[in-house]
Amino acid sequence: MTNLLNLEGIFFYAVICLYFAATVFYFLFVTVKKEALGKAAAAIQILGLVLHTAALILRGIGAGRLPLTNQYEFATSFAWGLCLVSLVFIWRFKFPVIGTFAAPIILLLIGYAAMQSREVKALMPALRSSWLGFHVSTAIIAYGSFGVSAVLGLIFLLRERMKNQGFWDKHIPAREKLDLISYRSVCLGLLFLTFTIITGAIWAEQAWGSYWSWDPKETWSLVTWLIYATYLHLRIRRGWKGRTAAIFAVVGFVCVLFTYVGVNTLLPGLHSYA
Amino acid sequence: MKKLWKFLGSMQFAIGLLVVLALACAGGSFLPQGLRYEEYAALYSERTAGLILALRLDDVFHSWWVLVLTGFLCGNLLLCNLLRLPQLLRRSRQAGDPAHLGAPTVTVGGVQDPDAVLTRLRMPKAVEHTDAEGRTLRIAVKHRAGLWGAWVCHLGILLLILGFVLGQMTKEEYTVYGVPGQVKQIEGTEYALKIRDFQLQREADGFVTQYTTALTLYDLSNEDDVLAQDATASVNHPGSAFGFKLYQNSTGDAAHFTVRRDGETVQEAVLCVGEQISLLNTPLQVQLRAVLADHDKAANGSSVPGYAYQIYIDDSFYGMDVQPEGGTIQDFLPYEVSFSEPQSYTLIQLKRDRFSRLALAGGLITLLGLFLAFYCQTRRVWAIREADGGWTVFGSSPKGGALFAEQVREAANQVQS
Repeated sequence: MTNLLNLEGIFFYAVICLYFAATVFYFLFVTVKKEALGKAAAAIQILGLVLHTAALILRGIGAGRLPLTNQYEFATSFAWGLCLVSLVFIWRFKFPVIGTFAAPIILLLIGYAAMQSREVKALMPALRSSWLGFHVSTAIIAYGSFGVSAVLGLIFLLRERMKNQGFWDKHIPAREKLDLISYRSVCLGLLFLTFTIITGAIWAEQAWGSYWSWDPKETWSLVTWLIYATYLHLRIRRGWKGRTAAIFAVVGFVCVLFTYVGVNTLLPGLHSYA
Repeated sequence: MKKLWKFLGSMQFAIGLLVVLALACAGGSFLPQGLRYEEYAALYSERTAGLILALRLDDVFHSWWVLVLTGFLCGNLLLCNLLRLPQLLRRSRQAGDPAHLGAPTVTVGGVQDPDAVLTRLRMPKAVEHTDAEGRTLRIAVKHRAGLWGAWVCHLGILLLILGFVLGQMTKEEYTVYGVPGQVKQIEGTEYALKIRDFQLQREADGFVTQYTTALTLYDLSNEDDVLAQDATASVNHPGSAFGFKLYQNSTGDAAHFTVRRDGETVQEAVLCVGEQISLLNTPLQVQLRAVLADHDKAANGSSVPGYAYQIYIDDSFYGMDVQPEGGTIQDFLPYEVSFSEPQSYTLIQLKRDRFSRLALAGGLITLLGLFLAFYCQTRRVWAIREADGGWTVFGSSPKGGALFAEQVREAANQVQS
């Protein structure tokens, strides 16, 4: 078991190096404007994701449980989720510039994970539940999707300033399409966030006898849900597509980051483990 | 009046409510909840403390104004769904009607095989019609259910809120603690609970991995026919009896309390940490404060536990000390008072919430609604045969926009090539 965890540690640091390399290559891709650099960056990111997946599996086997139960494990899984969702969107919409903005965020998240204790501790009884896997893994996909929507929002806002440039026109979709991709990302995030909240409520009911207790993490998940619900309604009611929607997607992700990092540090509660 | 109903059910009103509720929740998570005036005054200022209490910001999540906002949200969801229902039924019926195709979001001309385009778009088989001008028209509709996504989602949220609020208003909740062998009357009910057994499962290093209580719940409502039901509760695995769910809440230390006089036991009980007991008919009270597992070391190196206690006389604090295992508390001569047999107590929570299933159903319906709204978006593709024998293909998808238009163009191009 110790050997597996040592190997996981090696993989983890290799993943940091790969994500760093991907960030550099993506940056070069948009500054040097050579397509090959973008392809190389995406390939490095894919390799990083493969190693990252292997690291998480090794940790899961080494710890004898799902690796989703402390700050380190959730942070590294959050980075993994964002990496996965961004790659899916890059592949689905043939849009590698997503990586240019997603890779630094992934690097920041995994850097945050590296600052946490990697020690494997025994789980308190309440965390020994099969709902843990559903609850946290859906949160990872939700957070990853909101991360991608924020990235797309940023690209949209920058796209406004990049007019008539061949490279950008080729690699960044038209604004209407960009807006729609961001909307799709929010939809995926909101669906999974709803899953997260419901599975969390079912689990809390079994563990603590109360499916909703206004714990700070619960409350901020609800705030995040309300913000994105407002975003969806505004898109219909006021036609707030484009620029306003892009700003909303970025603000929403700031709220997601607060739910994740801010709540743990400023408002401890039942979720202080993650 | 009609205008008022329309406004109360409008999306504009819903957006306002969502924003205010989000702000209220965020504010409530930052402001310490449940403090007294003096505590708020010490934290902020007397004026702010007064304002916090006046606006019920000390208990935001249960304040009257949050309840009113939630009521408005429920009303909004209900009205919105009622007002939209006829329109949705009509749109559902008319989805494949050639007279109600509306404006397309994409048009591709000169297509030879429209069925191949439909296949590429994974659309269902088209139905053939003849339009008013006598032209052949083929219409395919995918995901009619998607029209209902927002409606189903609203219904789910409404049921979820109703289930939660009704559950909060009507739930019965009690806590009972004790050690194996004890029978406790549940205050305010006609039930009693017997703790038959309590086990702590530990890992090799002593870390507790699970606690499990075996218990019996007695229904004492009929003295001549006391009913009993057994149950087992452990963390994450609540038991159930007489409609109550029984949760293994937590555990703590307890010890046996004995009073002897002239070598004879005259009083005994099991005290959990924090519990207090009066000594026979004296004004003295003893409270167990903590059980110290490693208070001392025996000659053979094993740990000797100790019992931290406090003494009160007529409810006034008198003193405190630690009694080692095997020793006695000396302050009560002629009585010989001692603690012994350290043990663990179990804390059981009993709860009856008749509306939790309604809330759960609401949550699942909300999920279904979101899935329908986001991933079953209604798409219509129709083709009109032109005079030259070719077809013009049209497509519309209210939420698909440019992405759907691109898909239709791509499919048409692939078929053409």
